[in-house]
Amino acid sequence: MSFMENLSMSLSSLKAHKMRSILTMLGIIIGVGAVIIVVAIGQGGEAMLKSQITGPGNTIEMFYQPSDEEVRSNPNAFQQAPFKQEDIRALEQIPEIKRVVATSTKISSARFQKDTADVSTTGINQAYLQLNQLKVAKGRGFSSADFLGGRRVGLISNKLQEKLFKEENPVGKVIMIANQPIEIIGVLEKPTGLLAFGSMEVFLPFQTWRNIYGSSDFTQVTLQASSAEQLQTAGKKAARLLNNLHNTEKSYQVINMEEIAQGVGQVTKIMTLIIGSIAGISLFVGGIGVMNIMLVSVTERTREIGIRMALGATRGQVLTQFLIESMTLTLIGGVLGIVLGWGTSTIVSFFAGWPSLVSWQVVLSGVLFSMVIGVLFGLLPANKAAKLDPIDSLRYE
Amino acid sequence: MIQLDAITKSFLLGKESIHVLNGISLQIEQGEFVAIMGPSGSGKSTLMNIIGCLDKPTEGEYYLGGENVSHYNDKELARVRNQSIGFVFQQFHLLPRLTALKNVELPMIYAGISKKERQARAEEALMKVGLSDRMDHLPNALSGGQKQRVAIARSIVNKPKLILADEPTGALDSKTSMDIMEQFRELNGEGVTVIVVTHESEVAEYANRTIMVRDGVIQSPAAMDRGRLT
Ligand SMILES: Nc1ncnc2c1ncn2[C@@H]1O[C@H](COP(=O)(O)OP(=O)(O)O)[C@@H](O)[C@H]1O
Ligand SMILES: [Mg+2]
Repeated sequence: MSFMENLSMSLSSLKAHKMRSILTMLGIIIGVGAVIIVVAIGQGGEAMLKSQITGPGNTIEMFYQPSDEEVRSNPNAFQQAPFKQEDIRALEQIPEIKRVVATSTKISSARFQKDTADVSTTGINQAYLQLNQLKVAKGRGFSSADFLGGRRVGLISNKLQEKLFKEENPVGKVIMIANQPIEIIGVLEKPTGLLAFGSMEVFLPFQTWRNIYGSSDFTQVTLQASSAEQLQTAGKKAARLLNNLHNTEKSYQVINMEEIAQGVGQVTKIMTLIIGSIAGISLFVGGIGVMNIMLVSVTERTREIGIRMALGATRGQVLTQFLIESMTLTLIGGVLGIVLGWGTSTIVSFFAGWPSLVSWQVVLSGVLFSMVIGVLFGLLPANKAAKLDPIDSLRYE
Repeated sequence: MIQLDAITKSFLLGKESIHVLNGISLQIEQGEFVAIMGPSGSGKSTLMNIIGCLDKPTEGEYYLGGENVSHYNDKELARVRNQSIGFVFQQFHLLPRLTALKNVELPMIYAGISKKERQARAEEALMKVGLSDRMDHLPNALSGGQKQRVAIARSIVNKPKLILADEPTGALDSKTSMDIMEQFRELNGEGVTVIVVTHESEVAEYANRTIMVRDGVIQSPAAMDRGRLT
């Protein structure tokens, strides 16, 4: 007896009890759908987190982590900005490095008329604009002249505008930063995205920043490599160079992005696994529903089973018939569940701004898994059917 | 074709075992038309189930077509039922959700016959029992006599050498009963061995031989005569 024979037989007997079949499938639909949604959202979220951490355009950040000895010999090691002007120039000579973005940040107070706020003031070099788009919502961005001339102009964040200016247009106004006047030339766009939260910030050309704070050192250096492959090499060379220049062992370091991305992947994978298992439980419950209905079906069809046996069906053929029937039930439910999961995760990722990640592997395993559930939970009822005694079954009312 | 040697059958009912067949020996030749009669509860159906390989004897040997089938396993017995035996039951035992045609196709599904051939042979069998115009009807839309004819068509479709009918006319009026018996007579005329269990002497008259069963034993013709005399 062929598989197709069994399939059409099971379809017709599922059709004979439409309502019951659909309700039974519902458990599988929801279970498979939930698993797919969790996996897809997990993968989408992971992809988004990774892309945020590794930063755009093959960049890597340098940081300064003085050893205990250095701190002992120079107790101010932590207070000082670790990157000098010469360091930046030296770094720019490394062939793998395309750009060196250097910034310095200090927290100080900003005042406009009577309102004050604590702001983080960041002095940026011109390369910064190449890498980070400072999108301006009002006014204009920095020009080369602003950098070269060290003009007393600045961009403020949306949040700071709300704090100091309320509804007023701040462009052209002068605010006091660390008691020095700065003319506002533009307001940055409100940050978007799931993890973005507004902070009170002022951006200044580095020259300007230096004039205000009297320090020509940088607190933060980001390297941009010519290509993604050269990123790690560039980072290692840069760290070695700075350690040589400063006569330190390994105080200058680069963050290993790969490691961090892996770590994030690990975390999201574990999260997906945990939530996925909870969704899996609903699939399990769906499977029990299938088993339950199949047991009822076997009892109801005892006489049919007796007739089939009298006509020459072997126990194996009866077993197969009911296994395929429960598998058909879960397979249809599984396919509908995939459609549901796919649709839902596409909608979710659309609104969250993630890539939608329902891979063909997920779809395939959804199909296979629902078939396995059908076989697994059909085993008990099918076995019950196959074990029936033909004479007793024929007599069954 | 059928040989039973000292067949016994007992059922365990709780702790008690009840002996339904108590040593039945019997021989039926190919092409015979045999009626089995006897009072209710005498063990006729039990005997038919053993002959039909639906059940195994407790003791004794059963030879079907020269093969000792008493020790066949379930799978082998299923094959024998499928290939060598056609069943007709008092309650028709058609599958209610299948059309007459699909019901007749059933035994051929388990014989592994292709869809096309199945349909052709099922149509042929239904034509033979005079139901060519009822092929697409569900059992519910058929009269008792028509249902039983579908069952007969189903029983012959795998071309078995033996047809077993346990009270095939028990649920039919006498006119329809005679129609059904005519069908069996026709099949017997083609060389098929027919065994019919019945209570009615008009039905038994179609057979060339009548076997009387009482309390799980066959009454010898002499005993039958004695029974008739008293
Ligand atoms: N599976 C069984 N378990 C217990 N007793 C049975 C079983 N099958 C038949 N019997 C008993 O065997 C006896 C003969 O039954 P049966 O062969 O159906 O008689 P008949 O067909 O001649 O009326 C009855 O008393 C019945 O109760
Ligand atoms: Mg009986």
